[in-house]
Amino acid sequence: MSADRSAERSEARSEDRNAERSEARLEPRRVQHALVCMLFDPAYAAMVRGSAKLPELSVRERALLREVDPRALRSDPHRLARAVHALIDEYPVSAAVLGVAKVETFFASEAFRAGIRERKAMALTFGQWLGDRARGVGCLEHAMALLRRPLPAPKGELDCPPRFRGLLVPAGTLAFTSSVRARLGHDPVELLAQRREPWGERAPRKGTEPLLVERREDGSIDLGTASEPLVRLMRFAEGGRRRAEVEAEAIRRGAEPAEAGELIDELIADGLLCAPPTGSS
Amino acid sequence: MPTFLERSAALPHLGLGISTEYGARRSPGALDPRALRREHPGLGGFLEVGVEIERGLDADARAWVADGGPTTYHFLDVNLDEPEDLDPGWLAAVRGTVDELRPAWLCGDAGLWHFGTRDRGQMLLLPPVLVPESVAPMAAGLVALRQATGHEVLPENPPGAFFVGPMHVLELFAAVAEAADTGLLLDCAHLAMFQRSRGLAFDAGFDALPWERVIELHVAGGSERAIEGLPVVDDDHGIEVLPDTWAIFEGALARAGNLRAVVVECERNPLPDVLPLFRRVASAWGVDAR
Ligand SMILES: [Fe+2]
Repeated sequence: MSADRSAERSEARSEDRNAERSEARLEPRRVQHALVCMLFDPAYAAMVRGSAKLPELSVRERALLREVDPRALRSDPHRLARAVHALIDEYPVSAAVLGVAKVETFFASEAFRAGIRERKAMALTFGQWLGDRARGVGCLEHAMALLRRPLPAPKGELDCPPRFRGLLVPAGTLAFTSSVRARLGHDPVELLAQRREPWGERAPRKGTEPLLVERREDGSIDLGTASEPLVRLMRFAEGGRRRAEVEAEAIRRGAEPAEAGELIDELIADGLLCAPPTGSS
Repeated sequence: MPTFLERSAALPHLGLGISTEYGARRSPGALDPRALRREHPGLGGFLEVGVEIERGLDADARAWVADGGPTTYHFLDVNLDEPEDLDPGWLAAVRGTVDELRPAWLCGDAGLWHFGTRDRGQMLLLPPVLVPESVAPMAAGLVALRQATGHEVLPENPPGAFFVGPMHVLELFAAVAEAADTGLLLDCAHLAMFQRSRGLAFDAGFDALPWERVIELHVAGGSERAIEGLPVVDDDHGIEVLPDTWAIFEGALARAGNLRAVVVECERNPLPDVLPLFRRVASAWGVDAR
């Protein structure tokens, strides 16, 4: 037997051993996470009982879950409704645009399951899952959900202040959102749960509307339009940039090269950009 | 550090008490804990306050404390086996609430109280996975919470329509108590749910439990129903206590030599309706039911 062959064999043996080890792994937390997904999604529960590969569970972990009587998973008939309620509270207009039947499909998504495994806030996972599904309305309500929660510390030499989110959404999104929200009245959950179908009017999808969403000192959230170059610059800075990069971006967006530095200083003075203490990364 | 059994000598004898949680009294006709204490001091010996930090304490809990009434702090919002869940912000708020309540100890169901972060719409309560691997992370959380608050933390066996894993729930809690060197809160109604779900006798697993660590018992009503033919018990804290819950309670009284407190969980029922239940618990335990 050649040396190559024997090395290959021993590699294969060690891979088998790794696979065996990982199939014998039992982390109670992973079992609980999968169980939560099973409680929300009968199709996922059936997948766990089935034979298709599920990378998130080892053989041992899956064996424990296969023993659960599927009827017992239905012991709380209001579980899904409560979770949907929590989402509609923060995403009333997105839920109207999609219809509650569509909102419920979130709980059968890999995004929902990943959010549980990664220990995230459900409302934020939902916002990510929305993506373009509810057009600009989803982006707007996702930004609001982000600003309701603890804000990250600013990073880099220059950053978009964490209490702001700059958005570029289809033209008319803000007016559409306000008007639908007003018509949803004081109890959107009740109204939408009965309706289930998508809202009669479609969310805007053409053109561009630059928006700034701001969390005020008192925790309330302010929505407004802003100039497109400003919103683009704030979005560019989001997550932390070097000052030179932000200045170059300002010039690309139409600032006079000689005045870019001054412009950035003004934005910092106005609180629309922030310069974190040096050393933040 | 002294062992739990040595430390337990300093735990007060609270007697018979009642539970409450934020806004419990908004239910029509719900029990007024202070009225119970005024009219039947032997029954309202202490108030077990269910605390979700996000909601804080309600006016009833505050009024009880202002009267000088003894309390215990029952957490409703921590996954003990997740170190990330004992974050500095939550712990600081717990310490603040402990300062307000001045509880005799902390306690609460050792299970999954929420999925993901502690956030809206993510509350539930699942029992732990009944495997030896669950012991160490849960014990670590208990020790961390005890150190952070300076109070004993008694894990309670949670309810469940089903339980995952081959161990007996008492076997798991025995191992957790030994590993964390802590006391235990045995919920008799929750244990009845477990025994029924496994088709076991009311006292199955009793031999596994270090009874000298059992400091507190819970008694509560439950109602039977079936899901497509599967019999389950709803832990509804009503006034109808299942016969197996009584049998567990009486068996526990006979064994738990270090018992300090018994809670009758019936916070959403009117006083006249719950008095017979209190009297039966009091007489079984041999305490003054006036
Ligand atoms: Fe209990």
